[in-house]
Amino acid sequence: MKITLDGIGDITCDEGKTILELCRERGIDIPTLCVFEGLKPEARCRLCIVELDGKLVTACSTYPRDGCSIVTNSERVRKARLMNAELLMPKHVNACSIDAKGESDPLCKLIYDLGLTRIRFEPIKKYAQDLSESVLRDDNKCINCGKCIRACSEIMAVHAIDFAQRGHDEHVSPYCGHRLHDVACIKCGQCIAACPVGAIYEREHLFEVLKVLNDKNKHVIVQTAPSVRAALGEEFGMPAGSLVTGKMVAALRKCGFDRVFDTDLGADMTIIEEASEFLHRLEKGGPFPMITTCCPAWIKFMEHFEHGLIPNMSSCKSPHEMLGILAKTYYAETSGLKKKNVVVVSVMPCTAKKFESTRPELKSEVDYVLTTREAAKLIRHFGIDFTSLPDEEFDSPLGISTGAGVIFGATGGVMEAALRTAYEFATGESLGRKLEFEKTRGLDGIKEGSVAINGKEIRFAVAHGGANIRKLIESKDEYHFIEMMACPGGCIGGGGQPWPTTKEVLGKRMDAIYRADRCLPLRKSHENPAVKAIYSEFLGKPLGKKSEELLHTRYFKRDMF
Amino acid sequence: MQILRKTDLEAFRKARELGPAGVISLLKEKGLSGRGGAAFPVWKKWEYTLNAQADEKFVLCNADEGEPGTFKDKFIIKNNPETLIEGILIAAQVIGATRAFIYLRGEYEHLRRGLERVIDSILKESKSEVEINIVVGAGAYVCGEETAIIKSIEGFRGQPYFKPPYPPVEGLWGKPTIVNNVETLANVPQAILFDDWIEDLRLFSLSGNVTKPGIYELTEGTNLSELIALGKPKNRIKAVYFGCFGGCMPYAAMELSPEKVCVKNCAIGSYSIIAVDEKQSILDVALSVAEFYAHESCGKCTPCREGTIRIWELLEKIKKKKATNDDIDTLKDLAEQIRETSLCGLGQTATTHVLTALAHFRNEFVKEA
Amino acid sequence: MMDEHDVLLLPLLRKAQKKHGYLSEESLKKISRKTGVPISRVYGVATFYSMLHTEKQGENVIEVCSSPSCCVNGSLDLVRFLEKELKVKTGKTTKDRKFSLCKTSCIGCCDHPPAMLLNGRPFTDLTKEKLRALLKKCGKKKRR
Repeated sequence: MKITLDGIGDITCDEGKTILELCRERGIDIPTLCVFEGLKPEARCRLCIVELDGKLVTACSTYPRDGCSIVTNSERVRKARLMNAELLMPKHVNACSIDAKGESDPLCKLIYDLGLTRIRFEPIKKYAQDLSESVLRDDNKCINCGKCIRACSEIMAVHAIDFAQRGHDEHVSPYCGHRLHDVACIKCGQCIAACPVGAIYEREHLFEVLKVLNDKNKHVIVQTAPSVRAALGEEFGMPAGSLVTGKMVAALRKCGFDRVFDTDLGADMTIIEEASEFLHRLEKGGPFPMITTCCPAWIKFMEHFEHGLIPNMSSCKSPHEMLGILAKTYYAETSGLKKKNVVVVSVMPCTAKKFESTRPELKSEVDYVLTTREAAKLIRHFGIDFTSLPDEEFDSPLGISTGAGVIFGATGGVMEAALRTAYEFATGESLGRKLEFEKTRGLDGIKEGSVAINGKEIRFAVAHGGANIRKLIESKDEYHFIEMMACPGGCIGGGGQPWPTTKEVLGKRMDAIYRADRCLPLRKSHENPAVKAIYSEFLGKPLGKKSEELLHTRYFKRDMF
Repeated sequence: MQILRKTDLEAFRKARELGPAGVISLLKEKGLSGRGGAAFPVWKKWEYTLNAQADEKFVLCNADEGEPGTFKDKFIIKNNPETLIEGILIAAQVIGATRAFIYLRGEYEHLRRGLERVIDSILKESKSEVEINIVVGAGAYVCGEETAIIKSIEGFRGQPYFKPPYPPVEGLWGKPTIVNNVETLANVPQAILFDDWIEDLRLFSLSGNVTKPGIYELTEGTNLSELIALGKPKNRIKAVYFGCFGGCMPYAAMELSPEKVCVKNCAIGSYSIIAVDEKQSILDVALSVAEFYAHESCGKCTPCREGTIRIWELLEKIKKKKATNDDIDTLKDLAEQIRETSLCGLGQTATTHVLTALAHFRNEFVKEA
Repeated sequence: MMDEHDVLLLPLLRKAQKKHGYLSEESLKKISRKTGVPISRVYGVATFYSMLHTEKQGENVIEVCSSPSCCVNGSLDLVRFLEKELKVKTGKTTKDRKFSLCKTSCIGCCDHPPAMLLNGRPFTDLTKEKLRALLKKCGKKKRR
C-alpha cells in the first residue's frame, strides 16, 4: 500500500496498521492519552487527531487507504489537539506541580509541546478524594481516558471500577459511589500503572519512613524485592533492563537505613516451606492443585471471587513478610536488639503489599511498604547521585540469597524456584545443569509443563494477569502445582514499578532477572547458608511448630462485591 | 396517506417468493433510502449484511426516535404498526436472521403493549419463526445512534463506538446486524407490494409555534411556505429549526430538500421542522438546545463531553449579558472543534444550531452580549 | 447465570425499578448475581440513563419537556409554575416526598405541546389549570 505522509509521497507501508502505528514506526510523535498497549483503541481522548484526505480523524483508530494523504502536523491539526487539551485541563486540577506522573504526564507534555497555554474554562465539579491504605483516587484530576477501567476489567478481570453517570458528569467510580477500599478491589495497582495523568496513585509512606530514619532510637531495616533491582535504575534515567542491585543497596544505605537486607532471602525461605508443603501434599494425595501465595493481590482476588480455592492455597506467607518477622525475631535476638526498636521497611514493586501488611491475621512485622517509585523519591530526597554510586553488598545475616530467590520477580519464577528445591528434596538427586525450567518462563498469559519426580509426572501451570488467572482456574484440576501472579509479567510489572511498564520494558526487566539468577553462585534456595543457619539456629525444621507460627498464615472468604 | 396503507402480509409473501437477491434488487429499483436521517440506500445495507459470513444475524429496528421535534415513528407505531412488523420480518427473511429487536425509546413505553399484541398476531398469521423482542430504552438520546443501540442492548452504557466496523459486518454481539429506522422498515412492504409506491414522499414532523402541529406526508422538495401554511401559525415565523441537530435558518420560501437545506449550512435529517415565531428569542431556543446536548452527551469523547456543557455555559453568559466579544469567538471556535473532532454523529451535529444561529441571527446574541 | 445473548440488562433494570421505584444497591447486587455482569458495570449502566434512578425518588415523578418544540410553547414557564406550586427546585424532591420534579429532553409529543411525563406516562397540551388538577389528583393539596 502506498500513502502520502506529511507531504512525502510514495511511502510504502503494510496494510492492517493504524495511522498511529505507522507514524510511531517512522518516529513521528503523535500525542495520545487513551491508547492502551495490547487492547483495541477506543478513541476517547481525541488528542491523536491527524488529517486524512482533508478530514480530521483519530490516528489510533483509523486505517489508511491505499493512495491516501495523511498530515500529522498542520495548523488545523494543532488547533484541534489544542482545543481538546484545553477542554481537559480544567479537569486536571492542580496538575503538573505535584502531578503524580510528573514528566511523563502526556497531557501536560502536549500543552508544553504546543507552546500555547490558554485555559478559558473553569473547573465545574469538585469531587471528594477516594482514600485508602494502598490505592488512592482523585477524580478532580481524571480526564476520562478510561484506561484504569480497562486495566481493571480487560487485563485484571476484577471490575472494581467503571464509568458512572453520563456526559460531563461521567466519572470513574466503584459501584454505588463506594470507596475503592470498600469494594472487591485487589489493590494490584494496575490502574495506577495505566493512568496517564496520575489521577490514581499509591498511598505514600515516605513521611513516616523519614520520621523513623530520623529517630535515633530506631534500628531501621530496609529489604528489597527481587523486582526492584531490575527496575529502580529506570527512575534515574538508566535503560530498562539495567540490573542495579549494588547501587540500590548503596543508595539505601546512604539514606540512613541501619541494615539493608534482601527479600530474596525471604523468597528462599518461602521456597523451603512451600516445597516442603508441596511434597507433604504429594504424600497425602492432595489437595491439588497447590497454589502459590506470594502475591497478596492474587490472595485478595481468590478471597473475593474464588474462595472455594482456600484449601488449595499454600499457607506460606509472602517473602517480605517472612523476612520481616525473622528480622524482628531471629535477627533482633541474635543482634541483641529490642524488638520494639526495630523497624522494617519493605521496598516492593507492589501496592497490594501495603494492604497485605495491614491484614490482622498475618501479624505482620513489616512496618511500612514503599513502592519502587517511592524508594526512588526517597533517594532523590537525599540528593543522592544514584548512577554514580559504587556497588555495595547487602548486610548479614539476612542478605545472602540465591538465584531461586531472585527469579521470584518474574512470572513463573516462584514455580521454577519451587521445582528446583522440590525435585532435589524429593529425589535426593542434583538437578545439575538442568535447573532452568523453560516452560515456566516468558510472557505468555498461561504457561504449563511437567516434571517427573520419583516416577510421578508433576504437572504445573503459571498464570499472570487477572484475565489469565480466571482462565487457568477453569482448568485448574489438570495440575498439581499452580503459580498465580496478579500483575502482568509478574512482580516486575507490579503497580508500584516505574512508568511506563510496556511489553518491551517488561521483557527487558525479565531478562535482567534471569541474568541475575545466572550470575549468582548459588541458585537453589536450599543451598543458601543463611537459610540453613536460620533453620538450624532458630526455626528447627520446615513446617515445624515455630515455622508454622511465624511463617504461615490463613485466608478468608470475602464478599464478591 | 401512503404510509398508512395496509399490506396484510402480502409483501412478506411476495418477498419470500422473490428470495433475498430478488428483494434487494427490487428495493434497489424502487430506490428506498433510510429514513433515520442518513438516507443510506436500504438495498445496499441489506446486501452487505446478507453477504457477511456469520452463524447468526440480527435485525434491529431503531425506534429510539429522540430528535426533538420528531414524532413520525410514533405516528407509524400508533397507526400502522403492522406494516412495520412486516418490514422487520422481510428484513429477517432476506438476511437469514432468526432474532429481531425493536429498540423502543423509554418515553414510548406506553406503546409497548399495543405493539406486542400486533407482533404476536402477525407472527401467528405469517407462521414466521423469527423472534421479535422489544427492548425498551431508558432515556438517552444518544441511543438513537446505531452503535449506541447495539451497546445498550448488549448491556453496556449506551455509548457509540467508532466505525468501521459497521453493523452490517459486525453489530450486535459482533454479528452482522441491519439497523434501520421505523419509517424505513415500514416503507419496505409498501415499496415491495405497491407498484404506485412513491419514493420521495416524506413524513414531515411539524411543531413549534404552529396551531396545527403534526405529521404531514409531503413530497421531498415541498416548499417550506406550504408546510408552514398547513401548520397555520398565529404569528409570523422568523426561523425554522431542523430538529436540534440540523441547525436553524431564517424563514424563507424555499424547497425542503437535502441539497437546498445544505446550502443554508443546515441538514434536513428526518424532516423535522420546528417553527419559531417572532415572539421567541433565538437565544432562548439556543439555550434550550445547548442544554439538551449537554444533558444528552454520552460522555465518551473529550470534545462532546467537555465541550457541550461549555457551549451552554457561554450561552448562559450571553443571556446574563456578561459575555465579551472574546466569548463569542470562543463559542464559535469551540463549536467548530466539537463538530470536527467528536467521535459520533451526536457531537458532530451538536453545534450546528449555534453556528447557524450565530450566522443568521447574530444580532440576537451580540446585542445581548 | 445467563447466556451472553440473554443478558438483556436494560430490561432487568427497568423491571427492578418499576417494582421498587428506584434501583437500590440491593437490587443492583441481585441483578449482578443473576446475570454475572460485574456490579461496577451494572451501576455504570444504571446511572447512564435518565429514566433510571439509583436514589429514591418521590412518589410521583414529573418530567417536563424542555426541548425547543415545547420550550417555544411555554414549557419552561410551566416548570417555574410547578416549582412554585410544589415548593421544590427542579431536579429535587418535595419535603413530603410526594413529588420529584425535573426537566427532560424531547418526549416525542411535539404535536401537543407543552408536554410532560408523569410517572412515565405522557400528558400533553398542558396548562396551569391542567397541572393543578393533576397535582391534586396525585394527592397534593391545593395551595391557598
